[in-house]
Amino acid sequence: MATGRRYRGGLVDLGAGLISREIFVNEEIYAEELERVFTRAWLFVGHESQIAKPGDYFVSCMGEESVILCRDREERVHVFLNSCRHRGMKVCRYDEGNTPVFTCPYHGWSYAADGKLVGVPYFREAYHGKLDRSQLGLVEVAQLATYKGSVWATWDPNAPGFLEYLGEFRRYLDLTLDGWDGRDGGTEVLGGVQKWLIPCNWKFPAENFSGDSYHNISHRSVDMVGIGPSGSGRRDMRERLLARRLQICFPERGHQTGVYVLPKDQPTPPAYQQSPVVSEFFKQCEAERRRRRGEWGRVTGSPGEVFPNTALHPRQPRTFAVWHPRGPHQTEVWRWYLVDSESPPEVKDFLRQYYIRYSGPAGLTEQDDMENWNYAHAASRGTIARRYPYTYEQGMGFEVENYEWDGLRLPGSVMDITEAKSSEHNLRNLYRRWAEFMDAEGWDELATWRTPAS
Amino acid sequence: MTDHGDDVAHLFLQQKIESFLYWEAELLDERRYEEWLALLDEDVRYWMPMRRNVKFGELEREFTREGQDVNWFDEGKETLTRRVQQILTGVHWAEEPLSRICHIVSNIQILDVKPSASAPSEVTVKSRFLIYRNRVETETDILVGKREDVLHRVDGHWKIRRRKIVLDQNVLQVKNLTFFF
Amino acid sequence: MSIVNLRHLQPGTRIGLSDGSTVEVVSNPLDGVWVFGRYLSAPRDASLVGTEEMIFAQDIVEIRQTP
Repeated sequence: MATGRRYRGGLVDLGAGLISREIFVNEEIYAEELERVFTRAWLFVGHESQIAKPGDYFVSCMGEESVILCRDREERVHVFLNSCRHRGMKVCRYDEGNTPVFTCPYHGWSYAADGKLVGVPYFREAYHGKLDRSQLGLVEVAQLATYKGSVWATWDPNAPGFLEYLGEFRRYLDLTLDGWDGRDGGTEVLGGVQKWLIPCNWKFPAENFSGDSYHNISHRSVDMVGIGPSGSGRRDMRERLLARRLQICFPERGHQTGVYVLPKDQPTPPAYQQSPVVSEFFKQCEAERRRRRGEWGRVTGSPGEVFPNTALHPRQPRTFAVWHPRGPHQTEVWRWYLVDSESPPEVKDFLRQYYIRYSGPAGLTEQDDMENWNYAHAASRGTIARRYPYTYEQGMGFEVENYEWDGLRLPGSVMDITEAKSSEHNLRNLYRRWAEFMDAEGWDELATWRTPAS
Repeated sequence: MTDHGDDVAHLFLQQKIESFLYWEAELLDERRYEEWLALLDEDVRYWMPMRRNVKFGELEREFTREGQDVNWFDEGKETLTRRVQQILTGVHWAEEPLSRICHIVSNIQILDVKPSASAPSEVTVKSRFLIYRNRVETETDILVGKREDVLHRVDGHWKIRRRKIVLDQNVLQVKNLTFFF
Repeated sequence: MSIVNLRHLQPGTRIGLSDGSTVEVVSNPLDGVWVFGRYLSAPRDASLVGTEEMIFAQDIVEIRQTP
């Protein structure tokens, strides 16, 4: 696929902190991206609570392609390409449900929930018994992983296992997936996955959630009117105002997130004060979380991104979003909202209402992000505009390895932005990894952590 | 004759309800948001479910559930007021510059009236909408669907007590829902 | 011969196939294309009797007995 196009040091020039607009608007680069990034990376597909029983399925998406997330009769989880092996028809055009078989309406081929081709009309007659059905099951992902309820998959058999892919970022992903009280896992997704189209390249939202600490001005209007769970702003801010504010990324992995660390011995300030039930529940959970997690209990998270296109947000709101590519100029967002399975109904309902008014196309906060992404992309399509790279220079050179504060060491490459207020450290990291995927021939080049630097 | 009297009462009521809905559309189209909020009951429920593609025979799972699932909207006057306030800050970039919008309301059917058409205090109304939104230069959205409303009379005026908005889409084809249905 | 809507076939229904077999419906995935059935009789191949197979819509010619 040699195009003569250079990504690292070329279109993505992190030495200068400049990234070409071409990577957002160019059709050819997009086509390469589908091949180079989306077939090789781990992608978020859904949550186990969506496929709790044998036969349950949820139709999801990987890159541009429709996939079926399902649980077979033996309770094993699968992800299949939603396309009949015969002539390609989608074998499932429902969003979710329960079924013993997926049947193609075109010629009637039928597949069990483990992907096996079990029904071929006129197999004895038309095929004379000569079709090797064992080779014609639904195309299955090369690797699948479930992690604290979340389900991930990759088409690449050579990709590292999911935990290796995450590396130490796992500890930050845990902030979204572990319970409020610090227990391992225990989440469920609320019914209803939001799906909507936005007219911009998927990398706009991906970089935003990687840790765009600079764009608060976008959200000024929602901060003014106040939708936060304690009645003001858009979220509870007291904890953040007392904390060190960090941007943490993993250069070899391409994952990054914002993080807040409270001082040692600083109890978590009250939150969710519009509801006595929720604020009391939160208070008890925080005490328990501190007890279980020790010093790590001082850490909370803000937006983050698992490379390439899965955004996480651990609290206020608590959500996963996947930015599905739909051509260079369009993204289809799918958003899931999480709660602890064992939290009281009042807590789940309070959070549900908060999530709805915060995120998604009817979310007072997210609406302004999408407007910016829309028109930033639109203004970058022109012949002249493409000549002017975006600047990602903010905070270059101020990152710290082995960051430690007030007795707590944090894994990753850290930029402390408590005084600086912002940096683009995490955004550079996303594109560093993106450029590596675009240039690399294989995982030998991508899994640099396996070969320690000399 | 009672029948004829009933017909006349229904005719008048139909006209009054249609006028009310057209007036509501007028306020929204003219960006008179605060006056629009005044048409909503203090305890209004405003709900727009999401829709799933489901198998024949499983249609009870087509819509996300009010009060239980994630919906596009599922709220009361408090949040609707915040939405209006947000637009009126002048720095809600998704509505700055303001969109141009047109609500076409049609197929208005009175499904139920209590206690009677001649002395109504509560009316259940179904209507269809076509909302045309045009924004900035060429950004154009058309949304079509149905509304099921419960209106009731408060101090001699109709107020919207409950609105269920049924949008005929699965994946939302617009980038935002900054407007009102 | 009328066209059977497989979605309406309850478990326990006995159906006749084009090859003369009689099959009892065991379960119905409600896809309108297949049912899971057990052969009660199979003139073409006696070894099929008692076995469970997926039965294709176009092979069903009649409903012999409802449950």
